[in-house]
Amino acid sequence: MINPWMRFLVWPLVKFLIAFVIVQVIVAAMNWIERRLLGLIQARLGPNRAGQEFALFGKRMPIPWGLGQIIADPIKFLLKEDIVPSSAEKVAYFLGPMLPLIPAFLVFCLIPYGPPPSFVITHTNVGLLLILALTSTGVYGIILGGWASNNKYSLMGGLRSAAQMVSYEVPFGLSIVGVLMLCGSFDLVKIVEYQEMHVWNLFPQLVGAFIFLVAMNAENNRTPFDLPEAESELVAGYHTEYSAMKFAFFMLAEYSAMTVNCCLMVALFFGGWSIGIGGYGITTAGLQALGIWGGLLGAIIFITKVMFFMMVYIWFRATFPRFRFDQLMDLGWKWMIPLALANIFVTGIVVLALGEAKKNYYWGEIVMSVIGAATIALTLFLLFRGSRPAAAKVMHASRVSEA
Amino acid sequence: MLVEYPKPKWTEKFLLLDMFEGLKTTFRQLFFEKKVTVRYPEERLEPADRFRGMFRFSYDRCIACKLCAVACPIDIIYIDVHDEQREVDGKMKKLKVLDRYDIDVKRCMFCALCEEACPTKPKSIWLTTKTYELASYDRNDLYFNMQELEYWDDRPRYTGLPEEEAPKQIEGAE
Amino acid sequence: MFDVHEMEVNFGPQHPSTHGVLRVLLKIDGERIVDAKPIIGYLHRGTEKLFENMAYPQCIPHTDRMDYVASATNNLGFVEAVEKLMGVTGQIPKRAQLLRVILSELQRISSHLLWLATHAIDIGAMTPFFYCFREREQILDLFEEYCGARLTLNCMRIGGMPDDCTPEWLDNIAEFIGKFDAAVDEYESLLTNNRIWKRRTVGIGVLTPEDAIEWGVTGPPLRGSGVEWDLRRAQPYECYPELQFEIPIGKNGDTYDRYLVRMAEMRQSRWIIEQCLPLIKQTPAGDIKAKISRVIRPPEGEVYHSIESPKGELGYYIVSDGKTQNAYRCRVRPPSFVNLQALPAMAQGHLVSDLVALIGTIDIVLGEVDR
Repeated sequence: MINPWMRFLVWPLVKFLIAFVIVQVIVAAMNWIERRLLGLIQARLGPNRAGQEFALFGKRMPIPWGLGQIIADPIKFLLKEDIVPSSAEKVAYFLGPMLPLIPAFLVFCLIPYGPPPSFVITHTNVGLLLILALTSTGVYGIILGGWASNNKYSLMGGLRSAAQMVSYEVPFGLSIVGVLMLCGSFDLVKIVEYQEMHVWNLFPQLVGAFIFLVAMNAENNRTPFDLPEAESELVAGYHTEYSAMKFAFFMLAEYSAMTVNCCLMVALFFGGWSIGIGGYGITTAGLQALGIWGGLLGAIIFITKVMFFMMVYIWFRATFPRFRFDQLMDLGWKWMIPLALANIFVTGIVVLALGEAKKNYYWGEIVMSVIGAATIALTLFLLFRGSRPAAAKVMHASRVSEA
Repeated sequence: MLVEYPKPKWTEKFLLLDMFEGLKTTFRQLFFEKKVTVRYPEERLEPADRFRGMFRFSYDRCIACKLCAVACPIDIIYIDVHDEQREVDGKMKKLKVLDRYDIDVKRCMFCALCEEACPTKPKSIWLTTKTYELASYDRNDLYFNMQELEYWDDRPRYTGLPEEEAPKQIEGAE
Repeated sequence: MFDVHEMEVNFGPQHPSTHGVLRVLLKIDGERIVDAKPIIGYLHRGTEKLFENMAYPQCIPHTDRMDYVASATNNLGFVEAVEKLMGVTGQIPKRAQLLRVILSELQRISSHLLWLATHAIDIGAMTPFFYCFREREQILDLFEEYCGARLTLNCMRIGGMPDDCTPEWLDNIAEFIGKFDAAVDEYESLLTNNRIWKRRTVGIGVLTPEDAIEWGVTGPPLRGSGVEWDLRRAQPYECYPELQFEIPIGKNGDTYDRYLVRMAEMRQSRWIIEQCLPLIKQTPAGDIKAKISRVIRPPEGEVYHSIESPKGELGYYIVSDGKTQNAYRCRVRPPSFVNLQALPAMAQGHLVSDLVALIGTIDIVLGEVDR
């Protein structure tokens, strides 16, 4: 028998530290990835000069692709002058950046990175509920930071951002209820195992996935919902008065929250660490049979999917304009919540009505998966079919009749 | 002539096709289009042939008519001439001799009206030297007198300069 | 005095959605704008006074710098006004006229590209900025090939053009306009149907046609409100009577309509250039200046001449006393200055976030507003 101290304290701590370090490396790299990817989308190169003069033992070894930016940015943040406004409320000012960090870091021990038992840090049966509860507490730091800066516009920006985050918590939570109805458990590991036995939750719960994606963007103050960050009346919102490391804390908290939300998205809707359908493919049992290497493979699959969703964040930022604040709140309360409630309603009816023949699958779930897959196929088809006629007709707007 | 207000079909509104169009465009730009950055100063763009850059002056061709100074909108060409009797082809002729030909380049807007006004063929003052990197640390560096105008060569050189625009070499220099 | 609920805020001379140094004094009630008063003069350089001390050919580089985004049309307005004063408008050779039209329309495209870039990035879409500037770079390269400068062109002279163009330049233009329609399609795929863009621009800043005419608004804001008035058709100049093009007009007078009008104008300008290219190949090469004296000394009189610049009606009022080589008085009617007066009317009842979109849609250039 393993020593209970080892099993319940030391091992999870070690695993958490490893996961934490990896995630923080991802978060630090996200800075470079975001700027580079934004640049490449915008027909220019992103950072490409930092690290060109790098030399080791007198021999010049230029770091390609501007990867030196990853090292240069933290050094800059550490060495910058820390300006504290004289009339700021000191305690709240110092607490402000740290409060969003704490839940953002804590949540990483609740997410399964690979197949149990070795790649899951804490295996609780209410994991999802805990994650939701912890991420909701990230709002306090923003309000505190905005208020403590003693700046009218920071305060208003902070309040706006807080209002936005709080009001999108509701669709965030409601969109998951459909998944819960299908999988029957709050445990993320069970949800992933369910998905590999049946089909990725994306297909039966297409509407839920969409709402979750939108709510995710709004929670993290990312375009198209980044009014608090980008313009906020006249200045930069709740983190205007912060410099150097405190600002870096806000950025860290934001990127960590982004990573957590992507991990949730992958685990809930995209199959976590498995690539399988109906029990075939890369499944948990298969990975567990391979021991530690299987677990590593699962973790790599998981991280790849998470990185894909981080890229989707950046993709959205490059493409869409931003909503005005009242339109943003409109969207959240008048469209997302009714849609999420309708999703719960329909899912519930289908599962109840058609789910009685419980052998290894639900008929209802098959029906929903087929509808979801058909919708995706229809969208792709309409998108790629002869863009010329569609474009000519739809974008005819400014093509005034050329005789 | 009325710009048409595009009316999307209900499938486009429902399936969010307009958002996906935008995503498709940016995706295509990311992978399939060329990036247009020129990494200055390692890579430089070469200006066109008619590019109006820094001046070059030729003392031999100049006939000291002062038309360039008259044409300049901001009066930054300072010319001093005096008359002299010189021996040309065995006869004494009255010639104008150029004493001072200074240009205050820091106030110049490179409009090339002086180049247009110059009556000699080829012109005695010309701007097609393809040089635009004129920054300097000292304000007085940008006040060019006659010698400097003819012989400056401390700015980047471009290939493909026409023969007459090529900077003159001072014997023994470089 | 003030109502208790109102706040006076300075949308200061330096702000991120920069179109120059414009200060707007806002009276806001919570988020709603009650009154918006633009305060200008931060870029005043005394251009009109300078004109009184310079000969007419020397004024041309200074007209470049008023609307620094579209300098060829500034040059064109001034040069045509002086030619009208001297009475030589009919003697400009055909090749020079076609060159002027090509340069004007290229400049119109480049100005509208800059407008689209800044308007989009104010509203939050950051990629059209870079795509528009990529096309604008190509246009600036074309200008550089023709007259030697990219931004402040100084490319027209009284009586004609300074230089003839090379056949390679015309080929380069043909290559550019061949690819331009696809580029505009690309910008439109990002913006025109996008529901977020429509939410930000439909119904914002509605300007009724009567209001527009009363305020003296000209150019795309006027045409976006539904009034069909374009100086290239109403008071034709150069060789526009021979060219075919449409005047796009809008329906509702909101920001979205002005956006559509300008996108359509870009396409129409491309069409105009496409028609000019074969015409210019038929004119004899080198015939680019009218036979007028080198010293420009117009007879005594006054003239007002206006052209359709990308921003609206750009007018020059020149008074000459017949004796000197300088103008006695040269007054410029800048389109942005007059269009900016409609800002308070358009901003009534909107939110502060909309103000940025409104300043962008009127398309002002502070160099022109302040001169």
